[in-house]
Parts: sequence; C-alpha cells; structure tokens
Amino acid sequence: MMPIPRCGHPNLGLGVGLRTVHFPYLLQHQPEVDWFEVISENFMDSRGRPRDVLDQLAERYPIVMHGVSLSIGSTDPLNLDYLRKLKSLADAVQAKWVSDHVCWTGVASRNSHDLLPLPYHEQSLQHVVERIRIVQDVLQRQLVLENPSSYVTFTASTMSEAEFVARMAEEADCGLLLDVNNIYVSSINHDFDPFEYLDAIPAHRVVQFHLAGHTNLGTHLIDTHDSHVTDPVWELYRKAHLLTGGASTLLEWDAKIPPFPIVHAEVMKARDYMSSALGSYRSRPANDQLQANSTVPHPATAVFAEVE
Amino acid sequence: MADQPPQPLDVIQRWMQSVIVHPAGVAAGIDSASHTGEIEQGADRVDELICRSRAQTSIERLEVYSNAYKARLIEVLIGEYPAFVHALGEEAFVGLASGYLEVHPPASYTLGELGRFFADYLLETRPPNESEDGSPDWADFLIDLARLERCYSEVFDGPGIEELPPLDAERFRHLSPEQWITCRLVAAPCLRLAAYRFPVHEYASAVRHQQEPESPIAQVTRLAIHRREYVVRRTTIDAIQFGLLTRLVEGASIGQALEQLIEANSQAVVTADELSAWFRDWAAAGFFIGLAT
Repeated sequence: MMPIPRCGHPNLGLGVGLRTVHFPYLLQHQPEVDWFEVISENFMDSRGRPRDVLDQLAERYPIVMHGVSLSIGSTDPLNLDYLRKLKSLADAVQAKWVSDHVCWTGVASRNSHDLLPLPYHEQSLQHVVERIRIVQDVLQRQLVLENPSSYVTFTASTMSEAEFVARMAEEADCGLLLDVNNIYVSSINHDFDPFEYLDAIPAHRVVQFHLAGHTNLGTHLIDTHDSHVTDPVWELYRKAHLLTGGASTLLEWDAKIPPFPIVHAEVMKARDYMSSALGSYRSRPANDQLQANSTVPHPATAVFAEVE
Repeated sequence: MADQPPQPLDVIQRWMQSVIVHPAGVAAGIDSASHTGEIEQGADRVDELICRSRAQTSIERLEVYSNAYKARLIEVLIGEYPAFVHALGEEAFVGLASGYLEVHPPASYTLGELGRFFADYLLETRPPNESEDGSPDWADFLIDLARLERCYSEVFDGPGIEELPPLDAERFRHLSPEQWITCRLVAAPCLRLAAYRFPVHEYASAVRHQQEPESPIAQVTRLAIHRREYVVRRTTIDAIQFGLLTRLVEGASIGQALEQLIEANSQAVVTADELSAWFRDWAAAGFFIGLAT
C-alpha cells in the first residue's frame, strides 16, 4: 500500500510561530497568515490574556501546538497531569496536530528547559518508542516529533540521528516535524552531510517543517532563532520540499524579534524554494557570517505580565 | 560508534544533568559526578563518553549546554522582575539569581513557575536589618519589590473576571439594612490584597515606563492588585479599606467585617455614605463578582 503523505495531515501552507510581542498587531490587523504554531506550555495553564488571544486567533486561523517540555526521552516517568492539560488545550483550540522534540529536558523531577540530546542506540530507541505510544494513547492522537539541534554526541551511540528518527517514526507510528535549520546546525556541529540526513528520513512521515535563523560562533553553530534563515538552510529546505512533496512550513523567531510583517515576509520566502530544481549551496557564498552576539538557544519562551 | 554496552540511559541522563547544572562549571561537575560512582570518568577522560568535534573538546561541547542553562533561566527571571533588576543592577542580580536557581532549580514544565519562590529566597538569605530603630531598609525594599512583581505575574495569567458578568453596583443601593449586615461578597479570583513597606508599585511602574526612579523612602503602602480587560491594575487603599476588604475576602459578612474592624481599631470611623461609595467603587473596579444575601 502506498504510504499516505504527511501521515494524512493537511499542508497548511506557510505559518508563523505565535509570540506575545505580536499580539497587538495580530488582533488589530488580522493579517493573511496561513496558520500559527503556539508554544503549548505558554497557554495550557493560562487563564489570562495569552489564552484569550489564542482563543481569538483559533477562531480565524488553523492552530498547531508545539511543546518543549514533553521530555519524551527522559527516564523520569511521563507527567500525566501535563499530558491531560496538553490534550485539553488541543481539544479546545482544535489543534491540527501536537508536536514536541526528540529529546529529554531533565531527570530527577528537574526541568532544564533545554532540549537535551539522547545517545542513539537500541536501548534509547525502544525507550522513546514505548513512551510515544503511551503519549499517543493519552492524547488520543498521533504525536509529531521534531529533530533537535544538538551540541554533543555520545560515544555510546550506535546509529546516526537520522536513522534513529526514521526508525522511531516507523516503529511508534508517529509523525515528524523536520526542522531544517536544526539539521544544518547539527551537521556543522557533528560533521555530517545534511543532504544524506534528509535522504534517510521517511518522507511520508514529515508532517511539518521548521525554519529559523542560527548563530555561527566559528567553532560551532547555535540554534538561536534570532535572525533570518541562512542560504544553506534554504537550500536544504528546497530538497526537503522536493523529497516530501511539500508540507506545512513554519518560521520560528524567538529572540530579537522584529515586527510581525518582517517575520511573516521571512517565511513567505519559502515559496522561492518550492521549485523542483536543486540549488548548489556548496558552491555559492553563504550568508552565514561569524557572529558574537546572542548565544542562547531558545527552545522555550516565557510570558510576562502586562501592568497598567 | 560504540563497541561497548552503553551506560543505562538513566545513568547517562543523571550524569549529564549534574554536569551541565553544576555551579562551578562542567569540568568540576564531571569530577564531582565521578565521585558518586555511577560514571567513573573524570574530566580528563570525558571523551570516553562525549565525542569531540573537529573544533571543540568534549568539555567545550558540554559547556554549550551549561552556559545556556544558566543564561536562559536568568533571562526569564530578568523578564519577570524588571524593576527588581533595575534597583539592584543587572550584574548583582545575576549573582543573586544564580544562588536562587541552585536552591530552587526549575522543576515545572512551565517557565511561569521559575520565579515563584524568589521573594521567599530573598527573605531567607537577606542580610540583617542594621537600622537602629528597626525601620525598613534596602533589603526590605527589594523583598517587597519582588513580592509585587511576582503578584503581577500571577494575577496576569491566573483566573480573572473577563468572561463573567460585572457585579451591578446599583445592587448595593437597594439592600435593606438587614441585608447589608448579613450579605457576603464573592471576591474576584484575580483580587490580591497586599501591604508593602515602600511604595513599590510606583517604583515598578516608573521602571516599566523606561524612567529612572530614585529608591523610595519607606512608607506603608496597601494595594488592591486586580485585573480588568486582561491588564493588571493596582489601586492604593487606606488602612480601613484594607482591613475591611481583607475580612470580606476571607468570607466574613459585611456586618462581621465591620464589627471586626471596629474591634481591631476603635478609632475607625466610617460613615454609611462612605461605605456605600466604597462598595460601589469596588464593584465597578471588579473586586467582587457576586453578592449573597
């Protein structure tokens, strides 16, 4: 039987990550945006303005929920209270799907609020697959998981990240959120070919793409989400689009966030890379200059009070 | 790739977490972890666990996580406590926040919980008040400022009254004297009553408006902090109003609240007209959402 593209999910088009600094603009202008992705943890407990804005936007735009604290790879027990809240929010805003990361965020009841990498071997694969199945049972929907950017690899690994992610998706029957910037960041940090990574991914499982900017520190790249998407990442996106036949594409911008029209314009550039002809980023000068500014990866964002 | 059986996943995760959050840095964290016995490799042998890259050693690679851990969490605290940071200065705040995070490491899935115990931490670690008359000092000012800013966060994102019908202030006008005495008010879930030793609300507002406020002089300040149209509001109230509101929020009837107020403060004189005006104002401000006669 032919696999179903995007695990059966729709291609929502070009979306933007919802951030609080853009609330006033969005409510006032109601711009033509295909869809929004929200950080689940910023809304699942909110009974104030963030949740009110989300409810308003959910009436007009498709919403996808993207979490940063599921900690699917942790050896701590799954947090069922968290999962119930996640399900409740997903039901309330009619989320098109719910995603998180292939990572762990902490153990011993601690949350580092970072997306920590796993060693990739049979033991960790079975651990993650088993937990995905539990989460999917609780949420009563298929989970979508994102490849993380990472800064270390483990000597204990017996397979590449791409193989791990591919086997995980097939064995757990989950969707994939392919973060093209993360593939590029990790390919530089760990010295692998990002195009070979793409080739190893089961294309029909890719439900969504992420695009973002990163920071080049010379010795390594950091996934800072604080600038424009770089040329090599766009070229990877071009190939990913070709391999999958296209999927919902979202831009993340989490630090030094510019006005909404600039963020939206950035994701709209994706249309230029949806042609079938592959570029050749290796031969063209990349706009990936050395920087010495923000060096903090931004997997999570916080919400701060508005006071009269 | 590995040819040895891997360390159990829980062991490697406990090890990595202890290393990247260690206050003295990654190398110290690795050496410290090697003494627990779960993983024997010290800093000189860490590349047996973590691969080097072409440009970085294993320790440098772990430091990416270590540096980001602290920087990210402090950035969140700076966002939640802007006035406090302004008062103390960012450099000193980073030191203070680092100590806080060691005692209260993040445990929740949400960053909204990160600063929950900050004011408590300040209270526990404050230097002694050395003023001769025991009057509030600089540390008291900072503690009160932290309490206020945390209260703002909780009121902002907690339950509110926006979806509820407003309490009609006219209902107070039509109560019989008996009903006045026995009725109870249902407080809005977003109402907080707090007393401070300084006018910290003015300082916090000035900072949020990009001003450069002077440190205020001690002055007892009572606030009703609440929320309307999803924006946090604060209203200054006097001692009698504060006492009355506190008792009403605790569930006393209006008669009981007034009785207790007079018992506690024989000087308190409130006319019926004043009372009536207060209740109308409080209803209009959204302090109360229901009236049970």
